[in-house]
This record gives sequence, C-alpha cells and structure tokens, in this order.
Amino acid sequence: MKKLLLALSLVSGGLLPGLAAARPLAFVINSAEASVSMIDMDTKEEVKRIPVLREPHHMALTPDGKSLLIGDTAGNAVFFLDPVTGDVQRRATISDPYQLQYSPDSKWMVVAGLARNQIDIYDAATLTLAHRIPASSMPSHINFSPDSSVTYVSLQGTDALMAIDVHTGAVLWNTKIGKSPAGVLWLDGKILVGIMGADYVAVVNPANGAVERKIVTAKGAHNLFISPDSHTLYVCNRVDGSISVLDPKTLAVRGRIAMSGGPDDMDFAPDGKIWVTRRWAHTVALLDPATGQFTTIETGRSPHGIWLNTHPNQPAPTRVSAK
Amino acid sequence: MDPFDTAAGWLQEHFVIPLLYQLDMMQWEDVGYGWALFAVYGVAQVFITLAICLPLERWRPVETWPDAKAVTIDVVYTLINRIGVLPLVTFVLFYQVQVWLTGTLTDHGIVPPTLELLIPGLLGHQILTFVLYAIILDFGEYWRHRLSHMFGWWWALHSLHHAQRQMTFWSDDRNHVIDEVISFLWSAAIALLIGIPPLQFPLLILVLRFLESLSHANARVSFGRAGNRVLISPRFHRAHHGVLAAGQQSCNYGAILPVWDIVFRTADFGREYVRTGDPSGEEALHTGTWWQQQSAGWRRMVAMLRRKRSKSARSRAGTDLAA
Ligand SMILES: [Zn+2]
Ligand SMILES: [Zn+2]
Repeated sequence: MKKLLLALSLVSGGLLPGLAAARPLAFVINSAEASVSMIDMDTKEEVKRIPVLREPHHMALTPDGKSLLIGDTAGNAVFFLDPVTGDVQRRATISDPYQLQYSPDSKWMVVAGLARNQIDIYDAATLTLAHRIPASSMPSHINFSPDSSVTYVSLQGTDALMAIDVHTGAVLWNTKIGKSPAGVLWLDGKILVGIMGADYVAVVNPANGAVERKIVTAKGAHNLFISPDSHTLYVCNRVDGSISVLDPKTLAVRGRIAMSGGPDDMDFAPDGKIWVTRRWAHTVALLDPATGQFTTIETGRSPHGIWLNTHPNQPAPTRVSAK
Repeated sequence: MDPFDTAAGWLQEHFVIPLLYQLDMMQWEDVGYGWALFAVYGVAQVFITLAICLPLERWRPVETWPDAKAVTIDVVYTLINRIGVLPLVTFVLFYQVQVWLTGTLTDHGIVPPTLELLIPGLLGHQILTFVLYAIILDFGEYWRHRLSHMFGWWWALHSLHHAQRQMTFWSDDRNHVIDEVISFLWSAAIALLIGIPPLQFPLLILVLRFLESLSHANARVSFGRAGNRVLISPRFHRAHHGVLAAGQQSCNYGAILPVWDIVFRTADFGREYVRTGDPSGEEALHTGTWWQQQSAGWRRMVAMLRRKRSKSARSRAGTDLAA
C-alpha cells in the first residue's frame, strides 16, 4: 500500500504535473553559492540543488506560471526552471539581472541591474529590451502601480526612489527618501519603502516622491510582505534581527518577532507558516507568526529569493502591487 | 553546517553589519558578507599554515638562528595581507570589476567566455573546474614572477621578497605593496579572461597562497625525485631564494607546479638547501621596519626607472650627434 501511494505521489508530483496536485516545493536561491535549493515542503528536506552560473539573487514567475525565472547577476543569465520539477528549461542572456519582476498586467518585465546601475524594461512576451534607464546608483527593489503604468525602483547607493513610466521609459521623478532604501511595496495608493540605513518604513506619495510618514519598525528596515489574506504586513529588519508585524490599514506596529541571521525574503505556506530566508545563517526559517517560534531547514550559502509553488499562478507576495 | 559559514555569518551579524550601519554604508551589506567569508577563510588559512609548517620547521630546520627577530616582520606582512587586504581586493574589488565588465560585454552582444561554457559538460563539476582554474592561474603566476626578475624596476620591488635571510613559511607575504598590487591585477586579468566566478577567485588565491607559504618553510622537506617534479617543495623554492639566485638571472620561478620551470627550462633540481638572501640588496630591505622596507623598495624602483630614462636619452643624443 505504501509503495502504491509512493508511486502515485511520484506520478502526480513528477511525471504528470498538470493532472494532480503537484508536489509542494520551495525554491530557495543560494546567492553566495551559485545554486537553487529545491525543498520538499512536506518532508522538509532538500531534494535537489540546481546549479546556475555565478551569483543568483531573485526570481520571478512567468505570467502563465510555466517557468520560474532565476536571475543570475554575475552570470548575466536568466535560468528558466520548471516550477513543478525544478528542471532547467532554458537559459537566456540578460545583462545583470539582480531583481526581476513582471508588471501586474503581465506585459512588461522590469530588471534592476544593481552592479551596472541600470533599469531595463523588457517586453514580457519576447524578452526584447524596450527601454534602458541609467539609474545611478545601485537600483535594487522594484514595484508597480496597480495599473502597471509606473514602476518604482529603490536606489540604494543614492538614497533615492525612482519612478519610471513603463511605456515610454521616461523618468517621472527621482527623489531622495532615506538612507539605503530597499524593499518597495505599493499599498492603498501609497508606496512603502524599507529604509535599511535607518529604522523606519517611508510612506511615499506616488505622484511626486515626497515622504509623507515614517513608520518606525527597527534598525535596518529592509523588505515588506503582505500576507495572502491582506490582514498583516511584515517588515524584516536587517540590523536589529527581527520581523515587525504591522496593520496594513493603519500601519500601526502590532509587534516584533526576533529572528537573527539576517531575515530577508519570505513567502507564505498554505499551513499558515511563513518561510523566511536567513542570509547569514544559511537556513530558511519556518515561522509560526502566531507564536513567533520557528524551525529551520539548512540551505546553501546566503539564501536570498524564495518562492513556494503552492500558489502556482502567483509570484511571491512582495511582487504583487496590493491595491 | 559548514563552520566557516557559521563563523562568517557571526562576523557579518555582529561586526560588519553594525559597522556598515554606523557608517551609513548599508548598501554594501551583501559585499560585506563576501569580505567576512574570506576574512574567515584567511584566518583559517593562517592557522592551518601554522599547524602544518611550525612542526615541520621544528622537526627538520634548514637553519637555526640565535634570534629570529627578522621573522616578526614577515608575520606582520602575512596577517595584514591574508586577513585584511586579500579578502578585500580578491573579493570586493574583483567582484565589482567582473560584474561591470561582463555586463558591459553582454550588452554588446558578446557573451563573456567562461571555462564551463567553453568546455561542455563542465557546468556543475565545481571541483574539476576549480582545479583547472588553479592550473591556469599558476601558469600566469610563473610568468609574472619570471618577468618580475627580468625588468630592473620590477626586480627593485621584488628584491624585498628576496631580502629575507631568515626565510620561513611567513615569508610568502613579504612583498612590496606595488608588487602585490601588480600581482593582484595580473591574476585578476587572467581570472576575468577565463571567467572565474567572483566567489571562487578569492578561494583559489587562498589555496595557491597556502601552498606558496609551505614552499617558503625553513624545513628540510623534499617530495622525492618524482614528487619534486609534480609539486613545488620547500627545497625547490629555497633554491630560488638562494643567494646565488637573487637577481635578474634566477631559477625555479614556479609557485605550485614545477612543470612550467621544466617546460621553459628554468628548473634547477640540483641545488641542496642553500642559504637565502640577496647580497646585492641594501640593509633596509633586510632588517628595516615595514615602512623602511617599503620606502627603500620605492626609492630603488624610481632610481631604476630614472636610470633607464637617462640611458635612452643618452642613446638618443648619440644618434643625434651621428646624424
Ligand atoms: Zn623571486
Ligand atoms: Zn618566494
């Protein structure tokens, strides 16, 4: 009986991806190891380590959900992985893909080249370069307005946020908003940006880049994620070693969960656990947000981007512009 | 988990990150982690070198000195270089240059060469690629070293390395700063040409430098008739440091593999454990402080360049007269 079940699960998970529920997998990018860890979310074991070329950081799911794109910065390549099996489908040459993200209308893919100080706007369907915007310096995180007309990119080297018209590639504004800005999230008509060189999240006016409010979280506010039910906003704090829990409506801080090891990207599992990459601890944490307790799974060195295939048609939560 | 990773993570979390935060340099946190990792490797390398070489030097010393004061300066050279400077230049600097260069080439439609793409089937075989990289770098090192003896101005700098009359495993890092810079640029250029990944380059340098330390040891260690022709032994490199070999005509230039000396006919396997030093060098190079040694090297280099220029000016004047 066990064998039969195993065979069935193999068939459903590996061979006939479209038919049955796919095997739940977590994809974790190991930035300082040129690989991607594929973790079975049921057994909590790493089932495969997929080699890439040089230094991958972030990923994006194609709008049709058929490929998971892994951006390899120093390798100047994007690897297309099968989100069900982890097999490499193909490799495309793309200059310095540090962050990559599709627009909500699926028409564009924006790539931030942190090392080369450039923001590239690609036609999503053909991956042809539509616009290249010089962006000094160190463009890192990306988000969009819900209508996909504007993309917002944080510039870590110049403490600024840049707004770009996606269709024309024109820079709408480029405004200083705080020291070393990182994660960017559109929320209820405002842009939230984690101010990594300080201890707050800046609430920015999308029309002109003016900072309207500062929400103090903790030192090294980095990236922002909204829970699938939209009831909670999480902010990881790099220097403090914690995750702040906020009310997305009022932006009031509800609490703070201690997590050492440089918590970075996160994704939400169906069982309510939050999977968090811990950059300097070489693990991914499975956090129970109710208790603040977490267990860990070992990954490669410097785990960064993470995506769970349990929401097969959705990119990671920070990638979506919450309306 | 890898103890090096654990140590680097600790260093990053408790030293690098708080420091970067204080200095308003949080945008360098990722690069900082690379430095932490290679600083940890540097410390480990110094300890491993100590653990292996110290017993060897006690067991079968070539020379014994009434006081080993002259060795202290080499310890200083080693610590500065292996823990501070090497991780900084071989990772932080090399990384920046490589990402910029390869990205620019990719933009112009040129896919920068990498060994893994040149030799199909190599992708994923990290150890094999690593060994190939090491062999290529070692070949480059042979020629760099040979040229540093050939050119008068360069020898003026490199003679600092040869000035040590109490040669021990610490002596490998005893180099003029300019000589060290040239050496870094030299191997970095090779690394860029063959596409060594930014995370492997510092590791390669560490491995190569470890073997080079061993070959400087004050120990009667030879790998036997055949072994000496496979890997450079303390006996082989001591011949290069011999008083007779100091200067622009020398032998045994190799760093790791003697094969280059054999192929290019500069190998001398005949010399027994000779006395080391450079009788033609000035005393400041032998026994001066770090600063005195550096300025003496600089002075000698400038003098050599001046002499060369006046010589060529004289020969130009000669032809003028003849005309
Ligand atoms: Zn020499
Ligand atoms: Zn030497």
